[in-house]
Amino acid sequence: MTGYMVRRFIQLMFVLFGLTVLLFLLLKAMPGDPAKVMAGIGARIETIEAIRVKLGLDRPWPVQYWRLLSGIFNGQLQAMTYHKSVWTVILERLPATIELGAFALALALIISIPAGLLSAIFRNSPLDYAVTTAALMGISIPVFWFALMLMMVFGVALRILPVSGRGVSVVIPYLGRWSFLTWDGIRHLVIPAVALSSVQMAMNARLTRASMLEVLRQEYVNTARAKGLRERVVLVKHAFRNALAPVVTNIGLQVGALFAGAVLTETTTAWPGIGRLMVEAINRRDQSVVFGLALFMAACYMISYLVVDVLYAYIDPRITYD
Amino acid sequence: MLRKTTLLLGVLLLALGMMAVAETAVPETPGANVGGTLTIGVSQTFKDMDPRIANSAYDNYVIGQVFDDLIVLDPYTYQPQPYVAKSWEVLSDDRVRFYLNEGIKFHNGEDLTADDVAFTFSWIADPENNSPNFTELVWMKEVVVVDDYTVDIVTKPEYAPFAPGFAQETQSIVPKDTVLAMGDEEFNLNPVGSGPYKFEEWKTGESLSIVRNEDYWLVYPNLDRVLYRPIPELSVMMLELEAGGIDIADNMPAQDVTRFQAMAGREVVQCPSMFCAYLFFNLQHTPGNDARFREAVYRSTNIDAAVFSIFQNLTGVRSYGCVPPAIWANDVPYLRDNIALEEDDARSKELIAELKADGVIPTDRALTVYCPLDPRRRQIATIIATNLIENGLNVIVQPLDWGPYLDLAYRSESDPTAAELDMGILGWSGGPDPHDFLYYLFDSDNCTVGSADNLSWYQDPEFDALIKEADTTLDTAKREELYVEAQRKVYKELINIPLYHYIETRGLNGRVHGFLISALSFMHICDPYHNVWVEG
Repeated sequence: MTGYMVRRFIQLMFVLFGLTVLLFLLLKAMPGDPAKVMAGIGARIETIEAIRVKLGLDRPWPVQYWRLLSGIFNGQLQAMTYHKSVWTVILERLPATIELGAFALALALIISIPAGLLSAIFRNSPLDYAVTTAALMGISIPVFWFALMLMMVFGVALRILPVSGRGVSVVIPYLGRWSFLTWDGIRHLVIPAVALSSVQMAMNARLTRASMLEVLRQEYVNTARAKGLRERVVLVKHAFRNALAPVVTNIGLQVGALFAGAVLTETTTAWPGIGRLMVEAINRRDQSVVFGLALFMAACYMISYLVVDVLYAYIDPRITYD
Repeated sequence: MLRKTTLLLGVLLLALGMMAVAETAVPETPGANVGGTLTIGVSQTFKDMDPRIANSAYDNYVIGQVFDDLIVLDPYTYQPQPYVAKSWEVLSDDRVRFYLNEGIKFHNGEDLTADDVAFTFSWIADPENNSPNFTELVWMKEVVVVDDYTVDIVTKPEYAPFAPGFAQETQSIVPKDTVLAMGDEEFNLNPVGSGPYKFEEWKTGESLSIVRNEDYWLVYPNLDRVLYRPIPELSVMMLELEAGGIDIADNMPAQDVTRFQAMAGREVVQCPSMFCAYLFFNLQHTPGNDARFREAVYRSTNIDAAVFSIFQNLTGVRSYGCVPPAIWANDVPYLRDNIALEEDDARSKELIAELKADGVIPTDRALTVYCPLDPRRRQIATIIATNLIENGLNVIVQPLDWGPYLDLAYRSESDPTAAELDMGILGWSGGPDPHDFLYYLFDSDNCTVGSADNLSWYQDPEFDALIKEADTTLDTAKREELYVEAQRKVYKELINIPLYHYIETRGLNGRVHGFLISALSFMHICDPYHNVWVEG
């Protein structure tokens, strides 16, 4: 296992390096001169040129690439428009994304796995139809539309939840600003978390149901029943545990997405996370932040994939990497 | 150029309302509740808090409350009025002396003196600092500190007397010593001003708050705190206003205006804006440089109907010239009755056929109407293009993000005539002086490859002479005549097609009092004309 992990880690470094090159080329291919956008309409050509020089955009591409790459790794890369280092900008916004993603994932797991399980056990029952219909809707309804509906119902009509924003937050030294530690913050979390979890919930419920149905057809389940085990033991200990592998894979990928931010949900609900930061940075043509953020998001995904692969071995003893 | 006669000085003082004034006005708010928090929904996130480099209207919402300006323009007459400067006198064509109020303190306790005024203006006007606001002070030669509370602002000889320049002296004053001690970057994140509210906290992308300056020299600000919340989605901002999550929405789509006007406990306040949107032609090549083509495009569309379909006359109105109706020299009646063209499809078709026969309209490619991603400009571009297609022109609409649009419209060394740019839609905002519109949009000074505001590339010595004369004439009536003449000239030549002016629209919770908007003060909470308060 250790050898496998080392190999995967080295592989990850190569992929990240390739990604930095690709990202840089994409940024350069992006139409629109960042200096002109920053100078604003009506600016003198000298001002535009000076901004270009200040940001190093007049230098040869390899020099610009090295400035971005080295700056990201030594922490010295300054954002072009935020007056802070790129890492400071990202880390300031990361807690908001983590708490939103974690709440959404927790909500999705608490509801979707039991729902998928029950749906499989009571196949073709009204409960099954309700779960599969709700899951289909969850996958089909756009997140931003669902968020707006939640705002209209719970924020405007019933006035029991705040419409948007993050609410009161608490600063934890070295860990940033967290809002789930205050009642106002939790209330603000509900609508974006429910909206964001709708897709995760639907996917997990469908996957759990399909996986359970598959397992329930296996002969070892019949054997367990023939041995006279209680139905609960058969379902939970023998069937559900084996049905969990694909679900865990999916959850692992969702954890990666959790760190990568939720662009639509964060923008719609005015949630100040890194998904919204990405949109802001692109609009401002802040190439440093876009570069750093894209790299950070990609690294989160890759690490979560690696963790899922490692977890496989623990969930399913038949899997070995050495 | 200098004409130091008593008579002229008298005209100058009268014309610009620059008589020495006894003291700065104090806003009265009888019956106001003191205390509470005002929450303002803002359409975009904030970027800069240093007034020397901030050039976004949104940043200025906050800057206007944290800093004091040298002078203030009356929000309704646009005449200069005292603020930090309690009075001033014109010493000559190129020199105005300002006498500052004494006892004004920055939030850190430092005195606001002539040194700070000189530092602020000089820093912006120094090309080495590359301030985006440099062009606003391009006419300024230097600022001379006379004593602690007296400064002279001197105009460059070629601009003297630069009448519109006076309006730019509304610049917010920064504390020199603090800026030097903190450094520019740090000051931008933690600004220190002398205004009615002190900067409290900036949670990037989330909110920005300011709190009452208990020692404000002008008046006791009514609010404890003002919280600005960026809400990028306008539909969500409307829900927040309806639910009471915000007290003021800084924008409102046309479809929500009547709904909020009818809603109990909510108000809609509006005023004309300093904005105009227009369709420009590229005069550097065919077919834009052919007046027949420009007429064919103009004649193809009923602009009144197009503008009404987008704004329902609720948040925007038809424009007849770039100078907004909110300011003088707009010449709307004349432009509307004598120059604006009516839709005439037969004439448009005839012209398009003629231009095709003459080889003016290319047959090997479709013409393009470029526009920014803003939905309103996309809509009007689509309406015009649809009408042109019906009249026989092969044309497409190409919405572009801001960066690529500027790349194309500003021209470049490799493509100095913007070969692909046939026509485009853009908007322009300026101050309360016709110069800000006519000079930037049509004067040949602004045809510079890489940074052109005169996007049509209109170059006419006669027009330039009219603007130059208007800019250096101190008699307002004469200036108006000159600007009107210049304006009639460009619109008669159909250099661009004026489309619409926005109506600035704010949504208000009924608990907010004393909030007034004008074309100059979109979001002023406390200044010589406002002191907003909220019910408890």
